[in-house]
Amino acid sequence: MTVKAPSLAVSKAQKAQRRRENIAGYIFMAPSLLFFLGFVIFPMGMCLVTSFFNYTMTDFSFIGFQNYAELIHDSIFVNKALINTLIIVVLSVPVTCIFSLWVASLIYKMREVHTSFFRCVFYLPVVTGSVAVTVVWKWIFNNYYGILNYLLKNLGLITMNQNWLGSANTALGCIIMILLTTSVGQPIVLYVSALSNVDGSLVEAASVDGATNLQVFWKIKWPQIMPTTLYILVITTINSFQCFALIQLLTSGGPNNSTQTIMYYIYYNAFKLNRYGYGSAMGIILAIIIGIFSAVQFRLARTDNG
Amino acid sequence: MKKLLALLLCMMLIVPSALALADDQVTITLWTYPIGSWVDDTTVKGFIDSFNAVHPEIKVNVQYLDYSSGDDQVTGAIEAKTTPDIIFEGPERLVANWGAAGKMLDISDLWADTKDDIVAASPAVEAACKNAEGIYYEYPLCMTTHTMVINKQYFEKADALQYIDEETHTWTTENFIKACKALQAAGYIPGVIYCGGQGGDQGTRALVTNLYSGKFTNADHTAYTMDSAENIQALTQLQTMVNEGSLTADPGIVAGDEIALFCNGTIAMGFCWNASAAVSNKASMQETVTPFPMAFPSDDGVPELQGGIWGFGLFDNGDEARANAAKTFVKWVCDDANQAVPSVYATGFFPTRASLGDIYTGTEKEDNAAFSLFMPYLGDYYQVTGNWAVQRTEWWNLLQRIFSGGNVEAEVATYVTNSNSGI
Amino acid sequence: MQATTTSNPHRKMKVQRGDIGSDHSVQALTPYKVIGVILLIILALLFLFPLYWIITGSFKSPQVINAATPQWFPLEPTISNYQRLFEKPAMAWVWNTVFMCVMSMILTCITASMGGYALAKKRFTGNKLIFSIFIIAMALPKQVILIPLLKEMAWLKIHNTLWAVILPTVGWPFGVFLMKQFSENVPNELLEAARIDGAGETRTFLEIVLPLISPGIGALAIFTFINAWNDYFLQLIMLNDTQVLTISLGIAKLQSELSTDFGLIMAGAALGSVPIIIIFLIFQKFFTRGITMGAVKG
Repeated sequence: MTVKAPSLAVSKAQKAQRRRENIAGYIFMAPSLLFFLGFVIFPMGMCLVTSFFNYTMTDFSFIGFQNYAELIHDSIFVNKALINTLIIVVLSVPVTCIFSLWVASLIYKMREVHTSFFRCVFYLPVVTGSVAVTVVWKWIFNNYYGILNYLLKNLGLITMNQNWLGSANTALGCIIMILLTTSVGQPIVLYVSALSNVDGSLVEAASVDGATNLQVFWKIKWPQIMPTTLYILVITTINSFQCFALIQLLTSGGPNNSTQTIMYYIYYNAFKLNRYGYGSAMGIILAIIIGIFSAVQFRLARTDNG
Repeated sequence: MKKLLALLLCMMLIVPSALALADDQVTITLWTYPIGSWVDDTTVKGFIDSFNAVHPEIKVNVQYLDYSSGDDQVTGAIEAKTTPDIIFEGPERLVANWGAAGKMLDISDLWADTKDDIVAASPAVEAACKNAEGIYYEYPLCMTTHTMVINKQYFEKADALQYIDEETHTWTTENFIKACKALQAAGYIPGVIYCGGQGGDQGTRALVTNLYSGKFTNADHTAYTMDSAENIQALTQLQTMVNEGSLTADPGIVAGDEIALFCNGTIAMGFCWNASAAVSNKASMQETVTPFPMAFPSDDGVPELQGGIWGFGLFDNGDEARANAAKTFVKWVCDDANQAVPSVYATGFFPTRASLGDIYTGTEKEDNAAFSLFMPYLGDYYQVTGNWAVQRTEWWNLLQRIFSGGNVEAEVATYVTNSNSGI
Repeated sequence: MQATTTSNPHRKMKVQRGDIGSDHSVQALTPYKVIGVILLIILALLFLFPLYWIITGSFKSPQVINAATPQWFPLEPTISNYQRLFEKPAMAWVWNTVFMCVMSMILTCITASMGGYALAKKRFTGNKLIFSIFIIAMALPKQVILIPLLKEMAWLKIHNTLWAVILPTVGWPFGVFLMKQFSENVPNELLEAARIDGAGETRTFLEIVLPLISPGIGALAIFTFINAWNDYFLQLIMLNDTQVLTISLGIAKLQSELSTDFGLIMAGAALGSVPIIIIFLIFQKFFTRGITMGAVKG
């Protein structure tokens, strides 16, 4: 296709072909580009611009980097929102991966019916919808008439009602737990499929050579499911960063900011205090953080595949 | 091509105006927060139907907001310039928030012939509906006082009825403390100071300020004064009670959850109660619960209750025809000879017009009449102080910090600094 | 495509090995396996419980729900929660949600399959640059852009309509990225042959490319549907009127300040989740296939 054209006639034809390609390319590209530029790139640019403004319900004036300067000194942002967001990501991403790999490795060799039964069950919270899942957990965790405290008390595991969402020690843990139930569905589906596609003859050969199950897993299966693992890492990271409904509906960032996250803090500043410029500045910081995480993961993907 | 475009543009310009000329139909939009039955579509549509019998030329669309996301929606609508013509809520939003931001219309003309009647009902209402310059942003419909509630059966069993004045529904701080101890000794959870969010925070505010007659803000509503000696004493008292177990603090719930706990008999008193709550929670009351409304305890026995004032405000949408139609509707809802009483009755609260008198005796909502007993205790309407939204978040965070063992004076200082900065 | 057509090679192998008496599953009855399966069943029950609690809770009266001793099963089932739910425009919420998801799905599939094809097969100027921007944008949190987006929707006069949710969903770059990966598998020889046969661009795309990438479109459709379904924040900001709410927003709004009516909320949650769960169970195979393919290519 990319042969160099020696004669003038051919190069003319090639030019025509090139133009045709160009036109066709842009025409096919146009619809998606229109939506992408209009509803992603343009607002992104606007967000960057407004982050340099004191933008409230009554004011819109340029203040340079003042929003960013304030952000660095905002102890709730730095000590609570940022730290909690990182805790959620750092805890939930590996746990999601390990848990779903464990479940997948148990179920992929079962009979078809059983495999799909478990696959469905673990995927259920995803289809149930984030809001429905959140409100039912709110009821389950209720301090006074929630089923969890009732159950634990009857089993003798606790003597007094534990205020799961109302205590700074447990609230974040509960949120991460609920987040896990809504995020393992897809990874399990992916791992089941990836494990089923591991080259059987290699496993066979290794077993004949006397390799233990653990050795078979690390030496043969793990490298082959690596691309899946990376994909799961990336999507789980992005999802964990964006966890919002859980916080808004369960704790509003409390108690005592112990479940404050960047996402919720953006929402609080922009929509409760009408500080749009400040919210935008936070959004830019969040985008940079996610960008760094993704870049690191893409790097890992490249070195591991190469 | 150009011609076609021009034609199209012309049509776009002409057609809507032609339609508007065709008849004088005006469409206005009303958003209401959940105030009594003003969330019930049948009730509100019924009102609009009777309105249209008199004014067929004004079409009214109605939308119902809730307290958890309503403010976000109004914020969104203000930014999107899609605000409704009329909104039904209290001065803290209408006057202090959107009015101060210049988003509301001056509706002083509505007040012309009713001001005296309203002042006669309560001067505090009139004061709350205007800003410092005397511009009215709200036209009030109803008012109430927020009270607390006790479960009479539990009080009786704990032998704590002796601490309340059943006649006047009041008690002193000293007796409140004794009652809590008695309830605790009898094995009940006396009460829960909820602080999981801003829902129903008027209850916790009233509890704190009444205990030793403190003030929530200064007299001209320009600064929060939680750091006064009285308030610090009150918070310290509550902290002690929580530590002793004669009260509980729960950073996991808001007023709605607390009321549910009261209704199912888990706790012996609730701090967020009013005439409307009494009606709407009747169905879920367990047999072991007999609700008895009480004023908040105060050291001198004279409570200063938090008021609730609800009325209509008009968003400035730059359309005079719609603004006039909106005024016609508001005036009709509040002051029409046949409509004024049903409008207030639907809220379950009390009229802000002295001329309407007692509207509950001899009706299905007979119980509500009892709440009128509290109206004389109506205190300062300080919810119009600046930075109100910031203060509300700071407030429940303050309670969380204090009841998880924080130093009262230090925590109050933080709260006051944060709430007062930039008023 | 590879992922689905190879119907579990491991399972086939197991059968063969079973013949020579070294069946994996027999050998595998170790204590670890047994404990694992027991744990798995307990976990499965935990995952099923919230759904069970939603459905049974929706049939419980307020007294039962607020009682300190929970009922495992509604002993005196009542439909009053549903009656109260349907006093609100709950059915409209369901239809709004379906409309929003389906519309996002259709528009995304159309624009993404065209764009993905162009990026994979058309060597136009700026091809590489556009693709890089798409990739970078994928890592961005979309919530960051909501405030400007809100302004934009107001300017377009579609704020407070379902389109304000649909259009940004369609703009999200993942679809184009996914379809580019699928389109790369279309053999160049086929396209070349079509060109020599004199087929125009449109015909080539519709008759040759589309059938070949249709499994990818299926995967994308499922992805978009689930994402649109779960994107609560976008809906919260964009939709106001009771009539245009989605079911997720509707449920969230059932919580009020003065009473938490879990019965009513559970009825809303059941209405919102049970239909889609039934759809999911019926089309389970397509869902899992779609998810897998999306990942393999993504």
